[in-house]
Formats: sequence, C-alpha cells, structure tokens
Amino acid sequence: MKKRIFHQISVLIALCMLLSCGDEQNFDQIDDLSVEPVVATSIFYFESDENTINAAPVGIFYVQNFTFEAFNEPFVGDNILDGSITYQLENTTSKRLNMVVEFLDANGMVLDSEMFILMPEQVLPLEREVNYGVGGKSLDILRNTTDIRVTGNNLDDNTSTSSLQEPKVILRTSAEFRLKLQ
Amino acid sequence: MSKFKLVLGAILLGMVFSSAQNKQLLYDFYEIPQSQLLNPGARTPYRWHAGLPALSNIGIQVGTSGVTANDLFANDGIDFTTKVRERVVNGLSQNDEFGASGQVELLYGGFRNANRPNDYYSFGIYSEGFVAQYWPKDLAILAFEGNANNIGRRFSFNHIATQGELVNVFHMGLNRKLNAKWTVGARAKLYSSVFEFKSAGNDGYFVTTQGENNILRNSLVADVSLQSSGFQGIFDAADGEPADLASLLVNRSLLGGNLGVGFDLGFTRTLGKRSYLTASLLDVGFIHHNKDVTNYTFRGAASNEGIEFILPRDLNNLTTEIWQELIDELEQQLPFETNTDSYISLRPIKFYGSYRYNFGEPKGRTKICDCGTLPEEKDTTFDYVNAVGAQLYVINRPRGPQTAWTAFYQRRLGKVLAVKATYTADKFTLSNIGFGVNLQAGPINFYALADNLLGYQNIPNSNYASLQFGFNILSWNRN
Repeated sequence: MKKRIFHQISVLIALCMLLSCGDEQNFDQIDDLSVEPVVATSIFYFESDENTINAAPVGIFYVQNFTFEAFNEPFVGDNILDGSITYQLENTTSKRLNMVVEFLDANGMVLDSEMFILMPEQVLPLEREVNYGVGGKSLDILRNTTDIRVTGNNLDDNTSTSSLQEPKVILRTSAEFRLKLQ
Repeated sequence: MSKFKLVLGAILLGMVFSSAQNKQLLYDFYEIPQSQLLNPGARTPYRWHAGLPALSNIGIQVGTSGVTANDLFANDGIDFTTKVRERVVNGLSQNDEFGASGQVELLYGGFRNANRPNDYYSFGIYSEGFVAQYWPKDLAILAFEGNANNIGRRFSFNHIATQGELVNVFHMGLNRKLNAKWTVGARAKLYSSVFEFKSAGNDGYFVTTQGENNILRNSLVADVSLQSSGFQGIFDAADGEPADLASLLVNRSLLGGNLGVGFDLGFTRTLGKRSYLTASLLDVGFIHHNKDVTNYTFRGAASNEGIEFILPRDLNNLTTEIWQELIDELEQQLPFETNTDSYISLRPIKFYGSYRYNFGEPKGRTKICDCGTLPEEKDTTFDYVNAVGAQLYVINRPRGPQTAWTAFYQRRLGKVLAVKATYTADKFTLSNIGFGVNLQAGPINFYALADNLLGYQNIPNSNYASLQFGFNILSWNRN
C-alpha cells in the first residue's frame, strides 16, 4: 500500500515537472539596455549694476577666472554623449557691452569662447544655445575644461546712466547633457 | 559587465524572487509538526516528534508583485530598453515589491508531558532570511530620464524602502489543551542576528524648477537613512580565509550576533462539533543591534542656481576656488554621514487566522466526537475526512500591513496521506493555487507544499511561487 502511494506521488511529481514549462527567455538582452538620462543644471550667474560699470575705467570693468570642474569629473567626462549650454543675457544699462565667456584647460589655454555684444537698454533677453557632441562643438572642450573666465567689457562711456529702473547687465547660463549610464 | 549592469541585472532578476512569507499551506495542517511554528496553539495529535536535522523544514518563496521575468526577458523581438521603460520604470509603482525569503530548520523536536498529557512542548533552532525591496519609482525615473524633461516634478525619496536580514532563532513552545473547546500555546524566541539592513520611513525630494536669478534651480531636501549591522565583519572575514567567514557565521548564529527576544501566541477554539477558529500572532519581539553597526544618514536641505557673481557685492571676492566653495557648502548643507549608534529593530509581526469546517466521518473511528480533555480520551489523530475553510494572513512591512486571503480544502486519504489545496489572493497574484501533501509512512513523516501551481505552465511568467518540504519522525497519540 505504502509502496503504491510512494509510486503514485513519484509519478505525480514527475508529471508536474514534465508539464512545467516556460517561454523562451533571452537574458543577454540586458546587454541591449540603454539608459541615457538628460540632466540639467545652472552653471553660473553674473550681474552688475550700472554704477559699478561707471566706477571702472572704460573697457574691461570685470574679469573673473574661477575653477569649474563639473565637466571634467570622470563620471561626466566618461559618460557624456551630447549636450548644450544656454546663455541668456539682458542689458538695461545705457552702454554697449561685450560679455565673453572662455573655457580654459588646466594649463590656462583657451579651449573655446562665446562672445556677446549687447546693445544699450536691450530689454528683450538675448539667448544663445551652443551644442556639443554630434553636429556641434567637440565634447573634448567640456571634458578638458577646468576653469571658466568671465569678462565684462564696456564699449561706451562711463558717465551715462540708463533711464530704466535699476539698470544692470545680467548673464545667465545653464547646461543640459545626455549621459550614458548604460 | 559594468557595475551598473550587475546592479540592474540583480534587481531585475531579483524581481523573480519576491515573497510575502505567507505559509498558507502549512498553517493549521496540524499533521505536520512544523504547523506549530505558525500557531503554537494548533492541535497536537502526536506524542512526540523529531525533525531530521537540517532537513525537517526547508522552504523558499519566490515571486513579484509587478513584473515577471517573462515580461522582460521573453525572446519577443521587442527592444529591451522599451520593455524596461514601459513595464518597469513607468509600469511599476512604489508599492510594488520584490525580494526573497527562505528558511532552514536546523533542529526541531517536541514531546508530550507524561505527567501533564495536555501539555506538549516543542523546541528547536531555525535560520531564516529575507530581502524585501520596494520599487523606488521616482528615483528610477530620475535615473532613466533625468531632470531636464521633468522641470517642476518632485522626485520623492520616500519611495526608498528596503529591508533584509539573516537571523538564527532559538525557540521553545508550550501547547496546552485547556478543555474541549480551547487549545492555546505560546512560544518564546531568542534571536541571534547574523546581519540586517533596513531603510524605511525616508522623506524628502529632489526638484528642478525655474530659477529666481539663474535659468534653473535644483533643490534637494533629504531625510534618508539606512541602518545596518553585521556587514563589516562579514566583508572583513570574506577578505580572509574561507574558514574565517564560516567561523564568523557560525559564531553569530550561535548567539554570538546581535541578540533579541520575542514570542508567538496562538489558539484553537472549537465551535460546535466540526468547526474551528484559530489565530496566532508571531514574532512579537525585537533585536538590539549593538555589534558591528554601521548606519548611514543623508539629511539636510539645499538649493542651488550655480555659481553667482553679483556686483558690487562680489567685487572684492577674487578667489578662484568658487566651485570648490560651492561643493563644500552643499556638502555642509547635505552631509552624508555614518555612525555606529546601536538601534533596536522590531521583528516583522505576522498574524494568521482561520475558520475551518470538517465533514465526513473517518473510517473506523471509534468515538463520536473529539470532546475529551485528555489526549488519551480523544481520537484526534484523524478527526476529519474533509475540511474546508478560510485563512487570513497579515504581515507588518515597511509600507504597512500586507494581507493575504486563502480558501482551502483539506482531505485525508486513509491514515497515510493528507492533502491540502489552497486558493490565495494577495498583492502578488490573484490566481495562486497551492497544493500540499503530508505522507505518513510508519514513524516517518514527509511533507511537501507548493504554491502557485498555475505558474508552472510558464515559470518565467509566474508572479509567485513557493516550495517547502521536510522530514520528521513522529509518534501519534494513542487512539
């Protein structure tokens, strides 16, 4: 009797194992996974009122060199696919201004630069998007950038004043990059 | 294979190994002595029992609540990234869960008190472990899509919830039949933790919005923590000889780890001649972690619009290390810290309840009812032919209680065989049909319990499965 029950259970288990099945699986598909988030952040913000510009001699009224190692961080440098940097500028002063942003490498060499001429009392913002990667500038510019230099140049006089309220020059920047995580 | 691939692969494959830790087939299957571990107040129709060391109960539960292996790895020609995006990243919610659990009984025995035959004592040691990981939906979307196309969206940190442990449990229980209606039981437990980690109750968010001065503002508010114990010692031992690791694990299993205490309670209430009500509360207790503790915290708040030069304010600020100053400031506002503070972790409390109705008269039964107080006076060994009923299971998890409902049919086939079939509905699946068999060949008792049998038609497409089996030697009560 016991032998028969053992036999029946064995048959049942074997039957279950035979009946159990599954669709064909391909675990190598994980190699095809592509994870490419697009990250965005502001880079720097520059603002100067008209009094400060007037207080300086005509010509360069401000120059600032600062380290900026976000782009050449190994994680970013190794995984960046493409991206863009957006510049927004406003000038409500009474002067024609020239703003320059330069990207420098560790040796102080200028890798790239963007120059903006701003008309007096230019109320509508000037916006420029610079692309990097395929169809744009070389990604190596970003990968090798360790410093940024911002220069403000007064192309007119240092006595006039704007009729607009709180006249100032503003430079806004942000970056948007696609990274390959996988 | 990159680390990212390994982590992602482990997560995706890990989805196959999820568990609600419900043992609905074993509960109140009182021919099996291990049912005492689910209800110390279950009936005990044996004079004594002894589990085969390390073979008396081996169990593993597997499953997932949101996605199956087949959803991702079926050879269906669909782009894998598309499948992951649609079925995992966007398809799962923060309440979807995956993980693994298993149990191995090292020692288990029990005997009836000769002087007080209404009392049945049981004792033993078992190891159990589990991992439960909730899907961190917002963080997954952030990693998959980034923040650029999600301006204004808050990525919540309260989606982070994970828990896991390996613990050895020493236990001793008393089961007492009070009278014809009531059987009650209690079990004391001593926990020896091998390792544990837990991250729950997290809060905070990351959001990118339009900036006040600059184009964008990134804001991060975090109250995130992870408590862990036991890992550093294991990592250190793993770097040494294999014997070192084995020695450490054995030591921690044998009360050398972080210790805790707890208890189980349960009862069986007879309702009339054929009906029974049972309930049990398991693992009411805690472990005090004070050895090899490492806790991680990430707390604070910061907003950033990049580096700022505002003239004339910053005219005299001629430092070139503005970037590093910004990084330092952010690290100060959002410190990632570790500490070794001891902590107490509550055990995951479980509740079982059931209603059972017996029908059909066993062949050769000599008594008309199971109404005696003393085991010798009753015919409990095979007191049913058929039984139907319902069971409820609740477990306390990091996101609150999880519930499972079970309907069951149980049948005895002679004195040798008993079978139990269950239908269970829970968050993992609504089509879980289980089947268990208990075989008694002389003093040898063998049982095997398997869940979600319909899933065996296509195993990779199954949301849940479990298997439990074991061997005991036992002696039935005298009829």
